[in-house]
Amino acid sequence: MANRVNLQGNQACALGAIAAGCTFYGGYPITPSSEVAEAMARELPKVGGTFIQMEDEIASMGAVVGASMGGVKAMTATSGPGFSLKQENLGYACGAEIPCVIVNVMRGGPSTGMPTRPAQGDVMQARWGTHGDHPIIVLTPASVSECYTETIRAFDLTEQLRVPVIVLIDEVIGHLVETVDLDDLTPQTTVSRKFADTPVEGFEPYAVTEDMIPPFPRPGDGYRSHTTGLTHMPNGFPTQNPAKAEAALTRTTDKLVLHKDLIEFCQLIECAGADLVIVAIGISARAAEQAVRDLRGQGVNVGLFRPLTLWPFPETTLKAAVQGAKAVLVPEMNQGQMVLEVERLMAGDLPVHALNKIDGEAITPSEIAAKVKEVL
Amino acid sequence: MKDLEPETPFEINDYIRLEQMPHFLCPGCGHGIALRALLWAVHELQIDKDKLAVVSGIGCSGRLSAYIDANTFHTTHGRPLAFATGLALARPDLHVIVITGDGDSLAIGGNHLIHACRRNLNLTCMMLNNEIYGMTGGQVSPTTSSNRYTTTTPAGNTEPVFDACALASAAGASFVGREVTMQVTGLKNLMRGAIEHHGFSFVEVISDCTEIYGRKNDLGMSPEMMLSQKATMRPEAYRNTVDVPFRPNALECGVLTQKDRPEYGSAYREMTANLRAKGKQHG
Amino acid sequence: MVEKRNGPTNVLIVGVGGQGVIMVSKVLAQLCQNHGYEVKQSEVHGMAKRGGGVFSHVRYGSAVWSPTIPEGEADVLLALEWAEALRWINFMNPDTGTFIADTQRIVPPFACRARGRGEEAGYAPQTPEEIMAQVRAGYAIDATSMAEDLGNLKAANTVLLGALSTTLEFPVEDWLEVIRGFVPPHSIDINMAAFAAGREWAQAGDKRVEESAKGLHKADVELQQQVITKLEITEEWCKGCDICVKMCPERCLRLNEQLVAELPDPSKCTGCRMCEWLCPDFAIKITNTPVLEAAE
Repeated sequence: MANRVNLQGNQACALGAIAAGCTFYGGYPITPSSEVAEAMARELPKVGGTFIQMEDEIASMGAVVGASMGGVKAMTATSGPGFSLKQENLGYACGAEIPCVIVNVMRGGPSTGMPTRPAQGDVMQARWGTHGDHPIIVLTPASVSECYTETIRAFDLTEQLRVPVIVLIDEVIGHLVETVDLDDLTPQTTVSRKFADTPVEGFEPYAVTEDMIPPFPRPGDGYRSHTTGLTHMPNGFPTQNPAKAEAALTRTTDKLVLHKDLIEFCQLIECAGADLVIVAIGISARAAEQAVRDLRGQGVNVGLFRPLTLWPFPETTLKAAVQGAKAVLVPEMNQGQMVLEVERLMAGDLPVHALNKIDGEAITPSEIAAKVKEVL
Repeated sequence: MKDLEPETPFEINDYIRLEQMPHFLCPGCGHGIALRALLWAVHELQIDKDKLAVVSGIGCSGRLSAYIDANTFHTTHGRPLAFATGLALARPDLHVIVITGDGDSLAIGGNHLIHACRRNLNLTCMMLNNEIYGMTGGQVSPTTSSNRYTTTTPAGNTEPVFDACALASAAGASFVGREVTMQVTGLKNLMRGAIEHHGFSFVEVISDCTEIYGRKNDLGMSPEMMLSQKATMRPEAYRNTVDVPFRPNALECGVLTQKDRPEYGSAYREMTANLRAKGKQHG
Repeated sequence: MVEKRNGPTNVLIVGVGGQGVIMVSKVLAQLCQNHGYEVKQSEVHGMAKRGGGVFSHVRYGSAVWSPTIPEGEADVLLALEWAEALRWINFMNPDTGTFIADTQRIVPPFACRARGRGEEAGYAPQTPEEIMAQVRAGYAIDATSMAEDLGNLKAANTVLLGALSTTLEFPVEDWLEVIRGFVPPHSIDINMAAFAAGREWAQAGDKRVEESAKGLHKADVELQQQVITKLEITEEWCKGCDICVKMCPERCLRLNEQLVAELPDPSKCTGCRMCEWLCPDFAIKITNTPVLEAAE
């Protein structure tokens, strides 16, 4: 039975979360992400979940991590300034390996910036917003249906890997309304974290397992473990021993390398034999896709590489995709953030060009096409 | 108080993580006594350690959670109430107790405190007030007394003091109390009342920081500090006595506020259950 | 009977706060007044609170000038508590005085010089027999137990009034009438019975001693259980903060050269647990094993 509805990107994130089994949402109103909270306030009671509007952005992130520490799937949504405020507790979730999903609807910045205008200025904040080296996963849907499916994937990844996952969308995608068939998009199964079920005696909450993902000790199951934001040993208690500290920190980042194939997700459009590969996310990727179609019609050999998993950046896939290309173009609605990563990966092998826009307007297909023609 | 007495006497070693002892607190730090009172209350209420969750923030007070044999969460500075709110809502089956300090809850976490009081979620918040940021080296806090020397008030503190209990009461906390560490059994009974209370309960423990506050201000060592703290308190029994006009500045001890207000978690769950029931009726 | 002399008759009534010393003296004063005597009653009870010493002087006669009884001139010493009786015994006229005392012993806190649980209190060691051998006439009566047997130990003072009535010249009916006016209506019957019991007991002779097994104050007997106290110090946890040393009511702890708490003389420790409760490092553990259990 088809379940075709007209949905907004923000709403699709909320419904995706519900479909993924999310039962806790803690949020704070902020444009342009408030529709996520509004939808969750409506939907969560229907599934016996809990919605709470906290006193501030910091508290909402704290409540989400707190709920997840209780063993439930939890999410929040925010935008620019709110995302900045959430960074400390997000870092806690990274360090203590607490699963959670954060939707960040990017708006013009810095500071209050242009609240109702789109931007893609949080590419680096999403990766490096919280202090210290830490693992994090960032997903970048570019359509309403992807908002739905990527939020579900975000929950699967965060639960499976015990790494916070950010769903990074721009204001255009967040407020875009498209027709989607939820039945088609909803997976048969969703993933829940692996709960500890071994004997309580000798249990270590951060034990080094083969898959590098320690089973989660659910409060009430008898493990009575300690969770801290301090750098900790496998037994959960803090350490400043150099060898132990390094081992603890590298495990959390190595975990993502080990499970790279599970995390990475890209879309390649006409990259094979392309003279130029465009690398883009979100609304810029949609414009680029149109530009590729237009340019191919004009006989220009261009392709599009779209990382749905932005961080960790799909390095090898990109390197394979640009085989034979003469140049790479990175159009993005900032002063050049993702382009830095692409330049690092091309490392002089290929010229990398940037197309940047920070005027609060989306990049258009014709702007991209013009730039392609300019650089080829 | 519940007429419930555990069969076994309170033995603190049953409630602490022996492998983490001795704890890291300075000699004579009142926080250890407060921790005993808290665990004693937990014992008397016969709370299952598996169902006990202790959430703490950052600072000397924040480190206490690591020594409790329960589900313990050492969170970020000022935010334990936010974490605890999420935890308590997601897991109403747990007893969630928050341990926080004066800087943690009144300065950086002040917003969370007043909203936790207003919301009246079933949480117990034990605030250890030692008038100082101890772990960072002795900086002035919102509760540092007037004219006291700290590393950031080298000429004496000129800022007024926060009355945490008055703040909590005004913000709507349905159970507010205060006690000194010297009165350890009184503190235990107060904590017991706070944990039993259905709603948000706030207890201010007057604790002593001997090493970097008492010393700098010539307040004596721990025994002297504890006795002088006790002397500045008005016990609950003296509340309406001749003591009041003679010592107008004495801090009131014991239960200061206790009122019936709807508990947030139950109210929310009732609301959602009603919504689901209605949804089923309509089809 | 008190012999008629020139000058007033002196009755000194003593006891501890809460027993009803003032009530007894008011009854007597009222009775004397009803009989047309001039009466002076003076008392000290303000600082006594419950359990502290209380005394009341009652003097009556055709003319009374001074309100207080000079030492050695009391015709009757009526004591509601044994140690109070001994404290005031020198106020009694050695040749003509009558001694009436309840053998009930209420041990004041400051008599607990030996601080261990179940230890003997520093209470007056003289037995009723010894005292009765020294006085001209009198009664050592277990009024509290008698009152308790009648149903309310608070009526012990009325039992003593009954005994007192045998030494003064007033008719029984007058005593009863005054007592009726002073006690609450619901306890009139028991006070009548208590008066009769005390009077009957005292009429049996000029000197009588009767002490029951319940001679010591109840609270003392039931709460104090002798225990063996063990104080253990986890030295590795002690940080030498001095709290236990300074807060110990017995001053029996000290810091050794390594600044670790120690108990040089375990016999001084009473097992009050103050140090255990106030130790911020959980380094002190007190175990109080009841002697009976330890023997088993």
